[in-house]
Amino acid sequence: MIDVLGFLITLTTYIGIYLVLSLTLTLEVSSGITNFGKVAFYGLGAYTGALIGTYLPLAITGSRASPFDVNGIQLLYTISKSNPVLDLSVFLLSLAAGFAVSALFGLLLTYPIHRVGSALVGFTLLSTGEVLRLFYLNTEPLGESKGFMGIPNPFAWLPQARGAEALYLIIVWCFVGLTYFIVSRIMNSPLGRILKGMRDDELVALYAGWPTPLIKSKVLALTSGLTGVAGVLWAYYFTSINPNMFTPSLTFNIWAMVILGGIDSIVGGVLGTVLLASVDYAARFVIPFIGTTLVTPDYLRWIIVGLVMLVVLLKKPEGLAPRRGGVSKL
Amino acid sequence: MITQDLISFFLFSLLYLTVTIPLVLAYRVTKVINFTVANYITYGAYTAVLLDYYMRSSFGHNSLLLTVLSSFAVTGLIAVLSNLAVFKPLAEMRVKGDVLMIASMGLWIVLKYVLYIVSDIASSAWRTNLVSYSQIHYDDISLLTVRAGLVGVQQSLVVFPLLALASMLILYLVLNATRVGRAVLAVADNSVLASLSGIAVGRVVSLTWFLTAGLTSLAGVMWTTYSGAITPEVGDSLILQVFTIAFIGGLSSLTRTAAGALLISGVENFGTDLLSTYLGLPTSIKPMLTFTVLLATLIVSPPLGVAGGVPYRFTRGARR
Amino acid sequence: MRLTPASLAFLLIGLVVGLPLGYVFSTTTSPQSTGAPQAGQAREYQVGFTLPLSGELSSIGKIWEKVVYLALDDLNNEVKAYGFNVTFKPVILDDGTQDDKALANVQSFAQMGIKVVIGPAASSQVKAVKSFADANHIVIISPSSTAPTLAIPNDFIFRTVGSDAKQAKALATLAYTQGARTVVVFHRNDEYGNAFADFFTRYFSQFNNTKVYDLPYQAGLSDYTSEVNALASKVQSTGADSVVLIAFDTDAANILAHAAGNSVLSSVRWFLSEGPHGAQELLSPTIGQFAQKTRLLGTRPLFVHNPLYDEFAKKLKEKYGVEPTVFCDTLYDAVQLAGWAILRAGKYDGDAIRAALVEVAKHYYGPSGWTMFDENGDKAFQDYGVWAIVKTDQGYQFMDVGMVQGDSVIFTTTPYR
Repeated sequence: MIDVLGFLITLTTYIGIYLVLSLTLTLEVSSGITNFGKVAFYGLGAYTGALIGTYLPLAITGSRASPFDVNGIQLLYTISKSNPVLDLSVFLLSLAAGFAVSALFGLLLTYPIHRVGSALVGFTLLSTGEVLRLFYLNTEPLGESKGFMGIPNPFAWLPQARGAEALYLIIVWCFVGLTYFIVSRIMNSPLGRILKGMRDDELVALYAGWPTPLIKSKVLALTSGLTGVAGVLWAYYFTSINPNMFTPSLTFNIWAMVILGGIDSIVGGVLGTVLLASVDYAARFVIPFIGTTLVTPDYLRWIIVGLVMLVVLLKKPEGLAPRRGGVSKL
Repeated sequence: MITQDLISFFLFSLLYLTVTIPLVLAYRVTKVINFTVANYITYGAYTAVLLDYYMRSSFGHNSLLLTVLSSFAVTGLIAVLSNLAVFKPLAEMRVKGDVLMIASMGLWIVLKYVLYIVSDIASSAWRTNLVSYSQIHYDDISLLTVRAGLVGVQQSLVVFPLLALASMLILYLVLNATRVGRAVLAVADNSVLASLSGIAVGRVVSLTWFLTAGLTSLAGVMWTTYSGAITPEVGDSLILQVFTIAFIGGLSSLTRTAAGALLISGVENFGTDLLSTYLGLPTSIKPMLTFTVLLATLIVSPPLGVAGGVPYRFTRGARR
Repeated sequence: MRLTPASLAFLLIGLVVGLPLGYVFSTTTSPQSTGAPQAGQAREYQVGFTLPLSGELSSIGKIWEKVVYLALDDLNNEVKAYGFNVTFKPVILDDGTQDDKALANVQSFAQMGIKVVIGPAASSQVKAVKSFADANHIVIISPSSTAPTLAIPNDFIFRTVGSDAKQAKALATLAYTQGARTVVVFHRNDEYGNAFADFFTRYFSQFNNTKVYDLPYQAGLSDYTSEVNALASKVQSTGADSVVLIAFDTDAANILAHAAGNSVLSSVRWFLSEGPHGAQELLSPTIGQFAQKTRLLGTRPLFVHNPLYDEFAKKLKEKYGVEPTVFCDTLYDAVQLAGWAILRAGKYDGDAIRAALVEVAKHYYGPSGWTMFDENGDKAFQDYGVWAIVKTDQGYQFMDVGMVQGDSVIFTTTPYR
């Protein structure tokens, strides 16, 4: 017997977090920033959230336990279950800090990436993501390879697990709504048309008098900040993170979602994300009942994703739901 | 252990050169920033693995020459087919370079997991583990080393220089001593002019795909004599270093690329050892060194040409 | 009506979500949902498995999948023999050795109504599923997670293998009794490697006249040449007489192959953890010769000369043609424990099964030995065997050559001459 409500809550939570990533990526792509380092900002947000979520409750309750000891972890679980006010305020603070830290980092990164062409921007950001991952892996206060455990779920104090999941889902979707609002307002505004011009020919935009580096910096700072918040949401949903969660494959997954729906259309990005995330999660309910397979389903999944990407690029480059006349609406 | 570092530096420099020189040349002709370079290396290595297992179990012997030829053919063919199926149609649609790069990303994913499936199926059919395969010893190289009186020398020390030199030699001869090679160079410089002067650009591009991919696969074959465990991740784990080097060369200058190969190889091999011995840093920071060099290069000396950022492309020397 | 992108989107989403749901509804409406089982009607229990069938641990994950089928066959036959009209069915999902996939797998198991999940393999994955499992009362039995930070009482996480702390002690004892005094611990810079190295350092330093140096390396690289060179420098500068390598299979093979070409590293002793045991790449001539030269020894969780283990290994070889690798025995026992615990609990409910599991484990003895849990839900009594790579007529082979007992090591055969 399938627990349909639980299924839908889990699925929509995943979709929500992915939507933030794909919406911001759509904005980046439509401004000519080939961001192959999505995971860098995402991971930075997650680590900022985890840092606040574990050290702060321990410090406030006056405990000297380290968040990496069994004692500290158990204490964190107890605090999150017994102190709703502290639990929620730590979560809200993490959201704000996640935005600030990632946005600042995005802004700093614009310095090197203005100096290289769009293809190299992708690789520079990809490398930055790897550098950050290795940094977490080698920094003791960040838990090194152990990562963080016991990040308090903001609704852990609710007696029913289902209630906590539902409330968390609402928070995620509020944030998805906010991201959608920001991204669609920018892309449908005059600024959106400048961004499109910048992507199509940066040289022309520059000669038309637009300060393209400045605009790009602002866009990257904004999208990075939003991505950082998605990271915080991820960390608090998971309640444990470690450096190996933030490998480049996550970035490629988001790219696949965005390409599937149409590279610079908001509706397309949403559609691609919902499709791919749903197929990924729903497939778990089918795969085990097919019987033993010689071929690992995960490999097949990636082959299909890659092929779909190629077919879309070749046959329908504007994607499943193209952006119309520079203005896209749902 | 300066001698060991020196040997690794030498070997890795050769490996990086074998991959990056064809990569840069391919970019100049095809204008694709090509993720599938990772696949070329892996397919080269896995052609060697499959051939080694098959030949050892059937004939009891294997051969480097045969391996090299089949790796070259398999990989070159894949590259030509991917050009025909993906890159040529896209180029005819006059898409931007970014889209070509993203398409190559899609292709990279497909090829990567196809190889995983192939090696899984082969593993279960032959009841062995091909997803992680041990180092390969080539019988014709053993014969060669024994003839030359180099008993006990590791095969990698012979195979690396041999294949790297062969690769450079083929590239040099094809480009400079043949008609078609000069056509390749002409297309690399300016494809419009080349087509106006009667060069069949399409055919030249196809040839470039075949040649550069085949030469890249040699790096995979080299790898099988060196690494202790060959996995389908070989190419992917080299790709960031490879592109770092290519970007240091700005995707255009062969000399700068070669210098980049030496720089990255040196940083990885001497840097790690020195930092660990004298500063007590863990060797686990090695990949960080590579990326730090990339970021530093970009900041200190931004690349020119297409690889450079638009606002800075023309303002070098008079930076705002 | 014109088909707009938005309506198309909703149609597609409906199809994507609806189809599998409908499919599963029609296939998995198992007897569990039909209330109390009637007499004579076979009852079917599903057990969830999240295994690393792809990703870094895929080569052992593939073998584990076979162990699961073997264990379930044995379990089903055994419960039949006891007169229970019950069958256990596996629901196997791949988690690619990734944390997020492990959680998504456990979530989907929970939504299928499965209360017992075996796996995931890595400690970081167990951490990722812990909070969900505790909140939703899903019993998790990991056959291979060894991180000490997961030793938390009163949760829903059980581990059928001893913590690394114990094995580190066994390895320290082995190294010391073999004459090692100054060692360099060369280990993966991940949760497994770091924790193991910490404990090894702690126990080895307690012996007289010993010195330990620590050298982590980045895991998951394609090659470890410069790391091995740094290790050689370290060995030379510290005058170490032994290297302790804490690794998985692929990285160990790579490191040993490079060490074989290094004169400094070929002249010291090597001691290994359980990770590389059973990996085919270690049986290449290069590494085989190196093992003979350096008299390479390793420890692994094993109840040496356990007739049940030998029988299990034989059965696995006969049925599926594979040798058991590391943690196959603990996985087998995890399946058995899960089955008997469900029967003992009398109902398919997380809390009842958790309570029953603790009791069942006290009375069960399997290929991995006595499975009793300690207060943290980890295996209470773990023995460690010593393994070596020996030369046979069919080339190089792994062999269990002895066991660690307290402060001494007992060799049953002499691996190297």
